[in-house]
Amino acid sequence: MKIKRHAAALSLVAASALVLSACGSDNNTPGTGGGSAAGGAPVACGGKKALKASGSTAQANAMTRFESKYAQACDGYDINYTPNGSGAGINEFVGKQTDFAGSDSALNASKGETDKAKQRCDGNDAWNLPMVFGPIAITYNVPGVNDVALDGTTLAKIFSGQITNWNDPAIAALNKGKTLPDQKIVVIFRNDQSGTTDNFQQYLQAASNGAWTKGAGKDFVGGVGEGAKGNDGTSAALKNTPGGITYNEWSFAKAQNLNIAKLVNLGGGDPVTLSADSVGKAIADAKTKGNGNDLALDLSSIYGTKTPGAYPLVLATYEIVCSKYADADTGKAVKAFLTVAATTGQQGLDQNGYIPLPSSFQSKLTTAINAIG
Amino acid sequence: MTTTTSLDRPAAPQPFQRVSGARKLKDWVATILVGLAFVVAVIPLVWLLVTVITSGYRALMSSAWWTHSLKGVLPEEFAGGVYHAIIGSLLQSLVCAVIAVPVGVLAAIYLVEYGRGRVARMTTFMVDILSGVPSIVAALFIFALWIGTLGFQQSGFAVSLALVLLMLPVVVRSTEEMLRLVPQELREAAYALGVPKWKTIVRIVLPTAMSGIVTGVMLALARVMGETAPVLVLVGYSRSMNFNIFNGNMTSLPLLIYSELNNPTPAGQLRIWGAALTLIILVMSFNLVAVALSRFSAIKTK
Repeated sequence: MKIKRHAAALSLVAASALVLSACGSDNNTPGTGGGSAAGGAPVACGGKKALKASGSTAQANAMTRFESKYAQACDGYDINYTPNGSGAGINEFVGKQTDFAGSDSALNASKGETDKAKQRCDGNDAWNLPMVFGPIAITYNVPGVNDVALDGTTLAKIFSGQITNWNDPAIAALNKGKTLPDQKIVVIFRNDQSGTTDNFQQYLQAASNGAWTKGAGKDFVGGVGEGAKGNDGTSAALKNTPGGITYNEWSFAKAQNLNIAKLVNLGGGDPVTLSADSVGKAIADAKTKGNGNDLALDLSSIYGTKTPGAYPLVLATYEIVCSKYADADTGKAVKAFLTVAATTGQQGLDQNGYIPLPSSFQSKLTTAINAIG
Repeated sequence: MTTTTSLDRPAAPQPFQRVSGARKLKDWVATILVGLAFVVAVIPLVWLLVTVITSGYRALMSSAWWTHSLKGVLPEEFAGGVYHAIIGSLLQSLVCAVIAVPVGVLAAIYLVEYGRGRVARMTTFMVDILSGVPSIVAALFIFALWIGTLGFQQSGFAVSLALVLLMLPVVVRSTEEMLRLVPQELREAAYALGVPKWKTIVRIVLPTAMSGIVTGVMLALARVMGETAPVLVLVGYSRSMNFNIFNGNMTSLPLLIYSELNNPTPAGQLRIWGAALTLIILVMSFNLVAVALSRFSAIKTK
């Protein structure tokens, strides 16, 4: 009797599991944003069915777009991207858990990352391909003010505690004709390790004419202000802090309707509004420091841009791939995916706070992608 | 020393006097304090539930939510669902249960019925230690063993293994308590009839304790289902379905919530809250099943 009752309960569980497993579907109506696959370069689909990658959270939403476009262009092929941070991404790539890595910074030779990656690629070089550019917005919360302009030197002084009030003469000089209130500046920074912080500090170093002396790195080293975790944390803290200023990925600044400061680049000139156009100009100027198809960027060429109308504060995120994969199937699929990402995948990226690649840079990338074996 | 007795006064004080003001005050203060403590304990719970439900219920209204994955869905559009994550959560925790429950129940039987001396003390000690292991440590241990040393790939099964480490002590503990509650007289009665020990355990002790054991197992399962640390370390994120627990990326609800945190669009926020609400519903239904099963499998006393 008792045994029968347990058997009944068990079979109930089994039956419900069966029902559950029968009714699911992967088949979602394809996304409407960004047009169809038409107009892109022809993609040689093939190789491994499901690619695996992980790394930078900054490019997570771009990857989602690429994933969708890749599935449209290559029916039956899939890529899974785990946004678990650049460091984890490189570790998992080197440990052969993933097929390529997403990272906020290029492989660092002095930390031995380049050598380890070369070992992982069975002696072939690993390449850094900057695939996704996301601008960093300087966001602020000054009641009644919504068009502040700043430059690298002023930012360096604000984020190191030398300028502490919004009516400081240095800020006023950049904002002629506007009255800024007598309000204390509250710096809000990321207290988790972040590529955004690293890039922001590198920008301060490159564009402040020596006013930023604290160095760079994934931790904020300015020594002032209040910490918050993640882009969502800093943007929420900013909303609740009158007089606050922080740095966010553009997507978060837009989604939370934060005020974004205009920036004056090293060339002087007019303050530049953050837009796909103005960032595109800065990227078009970018110089690479890698050899041949390794497109690791010399970031100071972007941060220190003097081009009129170029917005200098950009976070470049890379895909780190093997130049030649020991497993030809993997190589073929990686190549197909990156081709989609660099061409049709770039459409509509601005909706998620990224900048579509300028065509001059796009051609460099496709050359490199085609050279992957 | 003369004593005057008054006939008006009773010889002994009345046994039930009126409650004095001081005692009333103490009673009143204690009632208020206990009441306040209850309210303070309930506020965060209700607040949490209300927040999750109001922010997430719209996601659950969409019909695709329960039947579709997120494959091909753009970050800013609200489409698709969390079917793949529900399947992942269920599969990972069920495989974990399949491993942890027999081991846990047998260990508890050993401790209660057979265990004497040093081995039993060691086992109890180890179970105590295991129950104090934080989930991230369990996850890293499995990573070092399963992936680092044995060279397997990340998979849902690795997550299940880490969950086993977290679930095992809970199962051992609750089963042990339940077995100890079985009256000694029942065992003695069985022995008196000449029933061997193993048969006494299988036919008398276990059925008597069954409802409690089932409840304990279900509660342990509900607890490991929401674990986040193992899924962050041991398996990759995927936006499409995967039924193969041994191969490939497999999303569970906590992993989906963590990954969608990178998406600041309203659609992404809605997905986060929706997935959180789904997880709560899932865990709650496990608890309800536990209650139902314990009623169902309880020994009839008459």
